[in-house]
Amino acid sequence: MVTVAVDAGGADKGAVEVAAGAAEAVRGGQIRVLLFGDESEIGSVPQGVEVRHAPVSIAKAADPASAVRTTPQASVVQAARAVAAGEADAFVSGGSTGAALAAGVLHIRRQPGVHRPALALMVPVPGAPVLLLDVGASTEVRVERLVQHAHMGAAFGEAVFGMDRPRVALLSNGEEATRGTPEVIAAHALLAADERIHFVGNVEGVGIADGRADVIVTDGFTGNVALKLMEGVSSAVVEAIRSAATSDPRAAAGALLLRPALGGLKDQLDPEAHGGAHLLGLRKVAVVPHGRFGARGYSKAILLAAESVNSGAIERTHAALAAAGVLRGS
Amino acid sequence: MTRGEAVDMVREHLAEELGIDATEIAESSNLRDDLEADSLDLYTLLQEIEDRLGIKISDEKAAEIETVGQVVDMILAEQGGEQGS
Repeated sequence: MVTVAVDAGGADKGAVEVAAGAAEAVRGGQIRVLLFGDESEIGSVPQGVEVRHAPVSIAKAADPASAVRTTPQASVVQAARAVAAGEADAFVSGGSTGAALAAGVLHIRRQPGVHRPALALMVPVPGAPVLLLDVGASTEVRVERLVQHAHMGAAFGEAVFGMDRPRVALLSNGEEATRGTPEVIAAHALLAADERIHFVGNVEGVGIADGRADVIVTDGFTGNVALKLMEGVSSAVVEAIRSAATSDPRAAAGALLLRPALGGLKDQLDPEAHGGAHLLGLRKVAVVPHGRFGARGYSKAILLAAESVNSGAIERTHAALAAAGVLRGS
Repeated sequence: MTRGEAVDMVREHLAEELGIDATEIAESSNLRDDLEADSLDLYTLLQEIEDRLGIKISDEKAAEIETVGQVVDMILAEQGGEQGS
């Protein structure tokens, strides 16, 4: 049985949707959820979900780190503390990435030797899924973080997704080693000289989706913009196909034949179907779903967190980082 | 703890966290403008100091911190040591 602490504060669709996701996740009987939020908003929950009244949300705080320190009663802080205290095995929070990061760092704490956790998402590119990090944990760009995140992504890809010596790339505005910001150029030089990682150089934005790399590393600002851009374009394309398919009777007839195949593709591209991103570098599993997710997305996020606990994702990733000698102070 | 020891502790932590040379960190260094530390870097620093020394820096005082020297002042104030650079 895996216990997941879930922060219901700040979810765009309200705590009731998070609660519905929790109810769905515990249905199999293998997961228990501690749900932190406003109990009057959450309402009744099934067996397997325990509501902890935490009506304060800091999801909109301008300075999430300060809010986490000064608001111990906040739902995200309470959920992180439950994990730190050993009451829960994993942490799920979709209200605010900044608050989830700060609560994770200040309460769950980082794995020894980790500079700054990164948000890592397996982007569901059809035929060529790619692990993209950082997709929004930190907007500060630092060379040592890019390098450690490259190793972290490779270690996580090997440990959790069974990648065999994953091909790692840096996201930049050109493939040449001299293209990019000073930090990207410096990180490129360090990774290119590092035999412990299968570094394949820079990829441009188009390279995210062409299968050239298994792990792509960037800073949290660029990664978040790239991710949202991909999601927006993918959603617009799906909508355009739907519109074209219903534009006249002949198209509609063709669409009927294609429907099973297109339906599967739509599910594959749907962010809610994948549960969210892992906050890598903490001492316990942490998953950050989109704040706009509904019950289905939160359910998947909780299942993803439980799967990561069961697969020993944290321990295996950290062991791989230690073996690579890229932890701070090593 | 002497002022020098407190300065060394803060400098060592920031150098390791921020990936910069400790010699680049002075008491007058502004955490944000000079060292490019963000809010989470500051609170991580304060947490480590609190854990290591068994002290508690108030949230109000923490919110006023801008420089390395102010962090050192707060450590010494909580420990009853020498203050002012």
